Amino acid sequence: MPPLSAEITRRAALGTLGAAGLTGLGLAWPRLTGRDIPGRGEDVLTIAILGTSQDAAARQDLVAAFNEIHPDIPVRVQGIQGNDWGDFFSKILTMIAAGTPPDLVNVATEGTQLFASLMAEPLDDYVLRDAAELQEYFDDVHPTLLEAFMYEGSLFQLPTDFNAANMYYNVGALELAGLDRPADDWTHDDFVTTLRAMRSANAADFVPYFWTNRLFGGLVPWLYVNDTSFLAETKAGGGTWFWDRFYPGEQRSGGYRWLEPNADDPRVEESVEFLRELVADGLGTRPEEGGGGALVGLFASGRIGTTPAGGYWVQGLNEAGMAEDEFDVQFFPRWRTQRHQFGAAGYAIMSTSPRKDEAWEWIKFTASRDGMELAYPLPSTTPTRRSMVNEARYAGKGPRHWEVFYDTLDRFPTTGPIPAPPQQAAVETALIKNISAAVGGSASGVPRALANLQRDLTQALGRTA
Amino acid sequence: MTTAALPTARDAATTTPPTTHGTAQGPAWKRRLVVTLFLAPTIIGIGVFTLLPIIASIGLAFFRWDIITNPEFAGLDNFADVAVDPTVRRSFLNTIAFVVVAVTLQIAVSLGLAVLVAQRMPSWLRTFFRSVFFFPLILSAASVSIVMRYLFNEDFGVVNWFLSLVGLPGVAWLTSGWSAAVVVLVYVWQQFGFTFLLFVGGLAAIPNDVYEASAIDGATGWRQFRTITLPLVSPTMLVACVMSVISALQIFDQPWVLTRGGPGDSTRTAVMVIYESAFRQLEFGRASAVGVVLMALIMGVTALQFRLSRRFVFYQ
Repeated sequence: MPPLSAEITRRAALGTLGAAGLTGLGLAWPRLTGRDIPGRGEDVLTIAILGTSQDAAARQDLVAAFNEIHPDIPVRVQGIQGNDWGDFFSKILTMIAAGTPPDLVNVATEGTQLFASLMAEPLDDYVLRDAAELQEYFDDVHPTLLEAFMYEGSLFQLPTDFNAANMYYNVGALELAGLDRPADDWTHDDFVTTLRAMRSANAADFVPYFWTNRLFGGLVPWLYVNDTSFLAETKAGGGTWFWDRFYPGEQRSGGYRWLEPNADDPRVEESVEFLRELVADGLGTRPEEGGGGALVGLFASGRIGTTPAGGYWVQGLNEAGMAEDEFDVQFFPRWRTQRHQFGAAGYAIMSTSPRKDEAWEWIKFTASRDGMELAYPLPSTTPTRRSMVNEARYAGKGPRHWEVFYDTLDRFPTTGPIPAPPQQAAVETALIKNISAAVGGSASGVPRALANLQRDLTQALGRTA
Repeated sequence: MTTAALPTARDAATTTPPTTHGTAQGPAWKRRLVVTLFLAPTIIGIGVFTLLPIIASIGLAFFRWDIITNPEFAGLDNFADVAVDPTVRRSFLNTIAFVVVAVTLQIAVSLGLAVLVAQRMPSWLRTFFRSVFFFPLILSAASVSIVMRYLFNEDFGVVNWFLSLVGLPGVAWLTSGWSAAVVVLVYVWQQFGFTFLLFVGGLAAIPNDVYEASAIDGATGWRQFRTITLPLVSPTMLVACVMSVISALQIFDQPWVLTRGGPGDSTRTAVMVIYESAFRQLEFGRASAVGVVLMALIMGVTALQFRLSRRFVFYQ
């Protein structure tokens, strides 16, 4: 044994350090190469969802129920975090580029045409093959939702949940203003009157109308009720194979097309000016870009009078402490029409997937009644099955007029999806930035902002997605 | 300089070159091997994670590529596209204006505070200030911006609440012409700790006897600062300016989280356009073209700073 006082030589020190480094490298190798990621390299059906790993874990009941029917199909749900659907889609694309694409992706309306045009597998053959089994699903789901997932005559997703832009209102603030629940066919003028009454009856820090500058619930609902949009909306041919088989009598299309900008339509300017005046009059907020995170808490604390939102809000308001009679929901106010906006989501099979048959089984299962009840046990979204939007779902949580959620489809057949062509990201950027400039300034700035919007949209739509 | 100075280790190394037969430390090939082995991790790291991506980006700028389909040669189309795109032009103008304002403010604030901290004060208080000023730098820019977003919210933010306490009207900090000012403020608040520490080091290196001699000659306060502190701290200021400018030219996190580039394009920066083009609009060629232009701008500005430093930087 060497004496304790022996000096450590440089050679020994370097050798020790080197050995320690190599050992550390060896131990960290699975992490460095990503081999420790659960399921990586295994032959499993991989499903990407927008959410955290906790959200993915929360779907284990769904996976377990699926495996009871299909014990031979191992499933891994992968949570992909993102601020919005655009973030989520870009991360999926990065996974594809990295050579690790999922087999299935939960895609919202915002990304349907992007995925359909580039990387999703049409479901047509599968749907026709299992038509008898699926008829019960189609009987329970409004055709408007299916039409939103058609692209150039083919069906790419079976929608499992949706949300329409309805108008939430704070019951207490409305009562304080001495007003009753708005009528189902209230107009945009009635809406302004309501906001003015709320403004005068409530505290100085109260906001009568809160809105977020984005594709869902921003300017678009005001364009739809004014019988216009910022993109010219046309329909694709085809799709009769589907409508004739599952919705006989429905005169529907092979999907929406948004090919041309329409920001120079005078009605677009009229709608933007309407919002600008709400902001200028202190009735509506200047919309922050991509915001909305704190909205539930602010609404629940009584500082917001009205805001556009869908059925996804109920659970959040309940958790924020709102009793079922403290908030309610009504249709978006009418203008020239009362056409509403909605967004939906469902699973799309990636065309690169080697497990397409297994993926289709997953899609069928999540569209089944059992699957949907497991996937959406709480009112944090609206199931696409009409039969599930019932008293029991909203009991104890509200709102009192929960029928509004599905009636938006049943009573207003022209209700349409979020305008989302394959170039959705560029289109959304163009819309958001020019609308923020338009509503934050003077009336003279609106035409200039809309001219810029028209220019940006022309450029965006001219690009290939 | 000093022919009589004692030889340094570096002098010794250069005056006794190794022979092909080697030295007492071993044969030349062995020493070269050791040097190469020690440098290898850094060289490989720079090569793989810096040089290769730069070369790939330059190459990609001449293609159209959406990450899914095969790249398609586009010649100079991407550069022509960004040259005429008003959004890109505006983003570069915003970036340059941001650099001028933010770096000037950052240097002024950090130098001013460094001078204050260099005054006589208990060492614990000096340590306290150093920690407090440096602290924002260790926070994630995105996290800070999220918090600031709440603070500066027009309707529900604390800043406007304070204004209301003194009877002032609220300001649309993030959704009006004020948004650029908020971005600058948040950025400078978070970044000045780094240049502050550089200046603290630079000021400490100025010999005290220079100040004592000037005091005997009657110079105090502002005159000492102008004629002694500023010239002698100028090498540090060059480093601070170069690093701050490079960092500010790449600003992304703060405006992305605070304003998303709005209202309109008023706070959109060059890096934001790169991110949006690549990861939201799937135009990797166009994003690379903007990146190449930004890289050229950074190189040009840095070269200009070093060129100008010959006139304004003084070495003892």
